[in-house]
Amino acid sequence: MVDYDYKKPKSLKEVFGLLKKYGPKATLIAGGTDVMINIRNRELSPEILISLRGLSDLCYIRKNNGYHIGALTTHRMLEQSDMVRAGLSALHDAASQVGSVQIRNVATVGGNICTAAPSADTAGPLLALDATVALEGPNGRRRVPIADFFTGPSETVRKGNEVLVEFDIPEEPGHFGSAYWKHSRRKAMDLPLLGIAVGLALSESQEISNARLGLTVAAPVPIRAYKAEEFLIGKRLGDDVLVEAGKIASSEASPRDSLRGKAWYRREMIEVFVPRMAKLAAERIRGE
Amino acid sequence: MKKVSISFTLNGDKVTAEVPPSWTLLKTLREYFELTGPKEGCGTGECGACTVIVDGKAVNSCIFPIPEVEGKSVTTIEGIASKDGTLHPLQKAFIENNGVQCGFCTSGMIMSAKALLDHNPDPTEDEIRTGIAGNLCRCTGYVQIVASIEKAGELIRQKK
Amino acid sequence: MSNLLYVGKGTPRTIEVDKVTGRAIYINDLKLPGMLYGKILYSDYAHARIKKIDASKAEVLPGVRAVLTGHNIPDVRVGFLRDQTVLKKDIVRQFRDEVAAVAAISPEIAEEALDLIEVEYEELPAVFDPIEAMKEDAPLIHEVDARGKPIRTNILPLPWKFYAGDIEQGRKNSAYTVKDTVSTTWVNQCCMGTSGCVAEFDMNNDLTFHSQTNVVFLGKQRIMEYLSSIGMRGRNVRVINPVVGGSFGTKLDTDIYEFICILLALRTRKPVKILFSREEEFRALPPRQPAVFTIEQGCDKEGRLTFRKAEAILDNGAYTSWGATTPSVMVMPMSSLYRVPNVSFEATCVYTNNIYCQAMRGYGNPQATFAVESSMDELAEEAGIDPAEFRLINRNQSGDVTPMRLKITSCGLEDCINSVKQKLNWSEKRGKRKGKGVGMGSLIHVAGGARVYKSDGHGMIVKVDQNGHIDVLDGGTDQGQGSPTIISQMVAEALGFRPEDVSLTLGDTGLCLWDAGTHASRHTFMAGNAAVRACEKVKQQILELAVENIPKVVKSGFRRKKRNDPDFVEPDLDYTLISKPEYLDIKDRMVFPKSDPEHPFFRIEVSQIIRDALHVGTGESKVVMAEAFYDPPTEMLDRELKGNLSCTYAFGTTGIEVEVDEKTGEVKILQLFAAHDVGKAINPILLKGQIYGAAYIGAGYGLTEEMKLENGRVMNPNFLDYKMLTAKDVVPVEPIVIEPGDEDGPFGAKGIGEPGLVPTAPAIANAIYDAVGVRIKSLPITPEKVLAALKEKRK
Repeated sequence: MVDYDYKKPKSLKEVFGLLKKYGPKATLIAGGTDVMINIRNRELSPEILISLRGLSDLCYIRKNNGYHIGALTTHRMLEQSDMVRAGLSALHDAASQVGSVQIRNVATVGGNICTAAPSADTAGPLLALDATVALEGPNGRRRVPIADFFTGPSETVRKGNEVLVEFDIPEEPGHFGSAYWKHSRRKAMDLPLLGIAVGLALSESQEISNARLGLTVAAPVPIRAYKAEEFLIGKRLGDDVLVEAGKIASSEASPRDSLRGKAWYRREMIEVFVPRMAKLAAERIRGE
Repeated sequence: MKKVSISFTLNGDKVTAEVPPSWTLLKTLREYFELTGPKEGCGTGECGACTVIVDGKAVNSCIFPIPEVEGKSVTTIEGIASKDGTLHPLQKAFIENNGVQCGFCTSGMIMSAKALLDHNPDPTEDEIRTGIAGNLCRCTGYVQIVASIEKAGELIRQKK
Repeated sequence: MSNLLYVGKGTPRTIEVDKVTGRAIYINDLKLPGMLYGKILYSDYAHARIKKIDASKAEVLPGVRAVLTGHNIPDVRVGFLRDQTVLKKDIVRQFRDEVAAVAAISPEIAEEALDLIEVEYEELPAVFDPIEAMKEDAPLIHEVDARGKPIRTNILPLPWKFYAGDIEQGRKNSAYTVKDTVSTTWVNQCCMGTSGCVAEFDMNNDLTFHSQTNVVFLGKQRIMEYLSSIGMRGRNVRVINPVVGGSFGTKLDTDIYEFICILLALRTRKPVKILFSREEEFRALPPRQPAVFTIEQGCDKEGRLTFRKAEAILDNGAYTSWGATTPSVMVMPMSSLYRVPNVSFEATCVYTNNIYCQAMRGYGNPQATFAVESSMDELAEEAGIDPAEFRLINRNQSGDVTPMRLKITSCGLEDCINSVKQKLNWSEKRGKRKGKGVGMGSLIHVAGGARVYKSDGHGMIVKVDQNGHIDVLDGGTDQGQGSPTIISQMVAEALGFRPEDVSLTLGDTGLCLWDAGTHASRHTFMAGNAAVRACEKVKQQILELAVENIPKVVKSGFRRKKRNDPDFVEPDLDYTLISKPEYLDIKDRMVFPKSDPEHPFFRIEVSQIIRDALHVGTGESKVVMAEAFYDPPTEMLDRELKGNLSCTYAFGTTGIEVEVDEKTGEVKILQLFAAHDVGKAINPILLKGQIYGAAYIGAGYGLTEEMKLENGRVMNPNFLDYKMLTAKDVVPVEPIVIEPGDEDGPFGAKGIGEPGLVPTAPAIANAIYDAVGVRIKSLPITPEKVLAALKEKRK
């Protein structure tokens, strides 16, 4: 029978105290759109839920010396932020397509990343935007590049006594744009069969000065397609180059056959959407 | 089971619920307050039949922990008509434009639409469809629901 | 037909106001004093022998009031072929097999009790493919039949065979032939309200059963037969519908959970509710039947169909519900969609260890029409004829009698095809193969009842009270289609009242007269015809009372005036104007002489007439009430599956334009025109609601929906992985309503509940072929399938 106690601490210090007291009996909950479902499906039966929703100071989107996004920022806040739309387009694309308005109103970006589903919508864009994750524990704060954050399906480097508190995203110099494609069967209420995020910096002469590709559902964890990035950097943006980058990215991925989609199809879609998203990112740079 | 005391505003009234902390908002509404307008169609936030408005935002009450409601304001389908019995423009429009068939999704559908129109009384069709994308309906194909919401927006704008 | 006041108007659904205020009581919301909650334990295996069931721990859990297993309930078989028991105690044959059930004071305790029931299984070899299951060495799903006779095959003893004309002759007459195999899969009805019921026995052992069934009387009959078989012969059952959250076929059979609920109520002597979770809805309700068709067709040089030969294999699952009878409907499009002289159709239902199936909107027709309409396009191409033209050549026409002996009285198919062609700009758009394409599919369906039982009747009681209010007791049910509004319009029209004067009671065996059920798109036609007939009688009664009472009312008025004003002179009135019922009429609740509708004295409110007829003091007082029982002049199908089972038939054509992304295989529906011959739209707004909704489900059937089974287990029992379309997945449906009027329909109407779904999937498939030159032969048409076919084609 579902029966747990619910604590809603007001400070991180209180959170650490509760985590220490209850250890593995406790589960952290933010928006709860994963946790509550897991409890209902009996995949999770905590004795105590520690809600982070009392930490209202972790709910923000700021820009100074790069972008700073509090872990409790909801997807809806990202969706409705002009700053995110303009500067972190891929993250905006992803946040606006998570579940439904009802889900986006409560689901947090910190929760999305900590759940660490291979299909986490915001993971790809955060990879493409080179985000850093700030984790805070009783002994202080540490920062981990998002590319090193995921260690397996539902597994991350976050320790049991740590809380993800913030994402830091560098402000790219020059002309930078990004885009995310959620490949799914429906236009809403769906998980991605595949997620493809592209971040691109272009010189005036349309030369690719920097590129980052974040792929989700392409491997057991969200990944960067480093070889494809390497291939792109220094090249002029063009169809042939992008098609080749798609092929390289596809070869870097290790998608599997699952109920939701076949591996061969996912590979093909990486080839199709790396170029399409790169073009979209470039269009956004040009302000089209 | 241990119970906690949760105080909040429900359809305009100050209320307190004495329920286990593991209850959801939906369970509390249906079983403690006997407001059975919000429905459980899936229990996992995938159908929207349980949608209510918490502090101005549409949420799936089936996955909303009751302790999170403390101090907040909750509106359900039962709370949107005037006390004198005058239907909310959305309720009128759903009846007049066949936005209702079996009606099981209707409570949630109207609450999602209300959350949308409260902030944006003149939404585009795409904005309406985005607003109700989390509310599944098997009867209508959504066409007359979208039309109902458009009409309700008109009614609301006329009043202002 | 002219001068209709209410029929043909978009009367709003005011009668259902409770649905927009949250006050409507669905089964989910129904709570009776002392009510217990029932939960069901399902099998852990697709096929296994039960070695031991130990429920002792569950029985002693505080709050548990009853634990049932196959060992402590009567060993009685139920179902269409009596091939299962309510709880299974020896062998489980599918994952949804019900092994035990609990009633407890809360759903949570009942759930906890299920966890405490220990069942030991010994796994048996299983078979999940109907073709494998037909082989001689396949594991047998059932070893004996209902009578205990040994069974040696998994093939059901239901030989669905239809023959008309001479296939070989047809073949000889053909200039072109095509043959292909297509398949459809399981889809879930996805009622937004999950299944449930409440059973309560009184101390006389009479049962009140709150059930979502759409066949209250047949449901009652099945339950009474069951009660009788467990030693409770002669007890009464009252079946009552709550507000029903969608049906789409799920409520046609009496499901096992309903028998379980009744047994729990009987054991505990308390009201018991069973309510399904969404997961149970996917795992433990019978979905639409999957089928594989091999279909061959031919036509002559002029494009006239010469023959159609089809064989279907249906995966029946482990037990038999209505799914196994879907071939009786498949035979309709197979034999009668378009004029085809020589037809052979054989369907084989095969037991497997998969989930068993039952009805869903269209009942076999969507599957069969996918086969026929895919093949029609292939044959048109073979013959070098435009597919629309090919359909026009072979269209059904009024006056036809089809090889199945269906009598086509009214038929708007030609209009349907032509209007779709025109709206789609067919000739301009077709055949371009540039990633965009158009396609169409048509349908035939019963639209004037469907005599699947010996009675296809519908009973209706109409009474008018002394306040001038009308109560209609309708033997059918409302699962959301809007019947209360439609019936109130027709009653108001027929009686000269207003729709708002009419209240409806549906779905109650205690109050209403027999109806064969709200299925087969039959309610508007049947209830409408019954309403018209009942209202004729009621009107006659009112007018007879008017003849008797208007003079009394008028004269007593004069007497009163005289008392107050001695100078008052009674006008000289011509009372012959109102001396016979046929001289009178009713409109807007006023009775008046036809010859002088605005007569200053003879125009009287109906309520006054009825009140005066009731409150007579001494003498014979009267009430106004009539019943009508309408049973149309139709036939049951004979042994050869022939017979005119419906009073009229619906025709329609769906035309679709799609855009296919050749890199991803994704299909976007750009336009969807759904043209339907509806006879007459009683309420155009509600009618369109049926078309929109049906076309949407059809689009899902075509593109996204499938229950994924792996070794008999449903792998996607939730709305995240079962891809029902959302509001964002725009399907731009535009209904085209063709109203030729049907001579047998009430006010000319035909049934329209199911048709919109039927031709949608094949129209999509045909449009995809037109767009990119690949034909996808299995539903749903996923991007993976399209892309794989495109890659194959490029090779």
